[in-house]
Amino acid sequence: MPAGIWNGTLSFGLVAVPVRMVSATRDLDVRFNQVDADTGERIQIRRFCEAEDQEVAWEDIGRGYDLDGQLVTLTDEELDAAAPERTHTIEIEEFVNLDEIDPAQFDHPYYLVPSSESEGTTRAYRLLRDAMASTNQAAIGRVVLRSNEYLVAVREHNQLLALTTMLFDDELRSSEDIGAVPTGSTGEPKRGEVTQAVKLIDAMSRDFDPGSYEDHYRERLLELVENKRKSKRGKKLPAVEEPEQEEDEATPDLMAALKASLERARRDQ
Amino acid sequence: MWNGTVAFGEVIFPVKLYSIVQERRVRFREVHLADGGKIVHRRFGSESGVEIPSERIRKAYEISEGNQVVLDDEEIAAARGPNTKVIGIEHFVPADQIDPLFYDRPYVLGAQAGGEHAYRVLHAALEKTKAVGIGRFMLRTREQLVALGAHDQALRLYTMRFADQLVSSSDLDIPKLSRKPTERELDMAERLVDSLAQTWEPERFEDRHRQAVMALIEQKAAGEELRVPERHEPEETPDLIAALEASLAGRPRRRQPAPSAGKGPLSKPTKSKSKASAR
Repeated sequence: MPAGIWNGTLSFGLVAVPVRMVSATRDLDVRFNQVDADTGERIQIRRFCEAEDQEVAWEDIGRGYDLDGQLVTLTDEELDAAAPERTHTIEIEEFVNLDEIDPAQFDHPYYLVPSSESEGTTRAYRLLRDAMASTNQAAIGRVVLRSNEYLVAVREHNQLLALTTMLFDDELRSSEDIGAVPTGSTGEPKRGEVTQAVKLIDAMSRDFDPGSYEDHYRERLLELVENKRKSKRGKKLPAVEEPEQEEDEATPDLMAALKASLERARRDQ
Repeated sequence: MWNGTVAFGEVIFPVKLYSIVQERRVRFREVHLADGGKIVHRRFGSESGVEIPSERIRKAYEISEGNQVVLDDEEIAAARGPNTKVIGIEHFVPADQIDPLFYDRPYVLGAQAGGEHAYRVLHAALEKTKAVGIGRFMLRTREQLVALGAHDQALRLYTMRFADQLVSSSDLDIPKLSRKPTERELDMAERLVDSLAQTWEPERFEDRHRQAVMALIEQKAAGEELRVPERHEPEETPDLIAALEASLAGRPRRRQPAPSAGKGPLSKPTKSKSKASAR
């Protein structure tokens, strides 16, 4: 069971639901420890103050900000003063249709779980969950996590309240800001080409089956560990062959390539 | 930030990848509170207590307690697989079948010279089919599973989470939810939801906290004492019906027309169909 990262109250009008926030993801990345190559001894990181070359205890470390050349230091507790109420309450400001939110704005997903078994808590939790499910709405609010404020969307998912932190609008670059997106008459497609590409997409389509995708990187790293263990630290693993240099050139005859691809896709199906 | 090609079927075209996210949070660094000195991280042997020079540091994987395999950087690099510069689309799936939980980081693809035409053909076809291409490519040091769809005028790419990285509700320790809400409670709660319903306008939400943090920094710089707020314990609602009634009092019922903006398929996540039934 993942650890709760936040405890507080979700408030909806005058209804308050005490909840615990837990991550909706688990870290399955292959994690390495740093060790000394000579002795195999585990490395420990210690923090030193550059000014007097002395080790500093964790509780004596604060946050520094360079304000026009002046270093300003703050403690975590002082930072909480930036939003004292939102550090322990998510106040629902409004409800919106979930489909209207651009998923690019979603940052990290969590679940909200009732923080006690009491009747008052579980009834209010369930009522809010059911009301959002029946109206297909997501609740918008804000929360402060680790001294940063996040916009959040709460919705019903898997019979729970799911929360996702969101980036603010000015933290997302639009395609116009980026340029490089061809528009107007640049490379304008002809109808026949789009029809052909649609046929190719249809021929290469299937249902989304999330369990069918494996993390090759994770698998290869674990395989590497296993091989190395078996070889008793003797043999080296063969190096990977570098791929042949691909050309950054577009297909010269698009229509011909689409047709050839479609034939192949239909054969392979 | 990344140059390569997109390949679907036998069609290939050169692209550039751009991150959409530009975080604007106030960034701090670690400092020694006593003298404002900058903190540096130094590496020591955990048992010997001797400082270890960086060239002697390797990565190790712990198989079991006290049993580890030490790996060279070259070996780890080799495990990454070939560094192909191709986003290879393996197949397509309906965009509305992908819950946004699967999307990790968003990117925009730009076209490189010569690739504009194929870019726009794929974009138009994805828009028409409301499909998303699923593929893989090497981004920095890691092979990523990605979803490629049309969003506005652009090809939008998301790196994806794998299914086993998502926590399911059965992994969580959830208190038994009490009986179904009564019709009256549900009706009042739905009215409260309706009274707060709005059209989504992300630009209306500003990061006021960012401004408040900057104000604190300036106060502190001016030598002012900062007040540390007290902590509160969460409290539940003692009388649910009374709280609903009081919340609704004075709020007119305001039903919003359900807008169906003509955005690309990636902007339309599926609403989970799971009925909110008794657990």
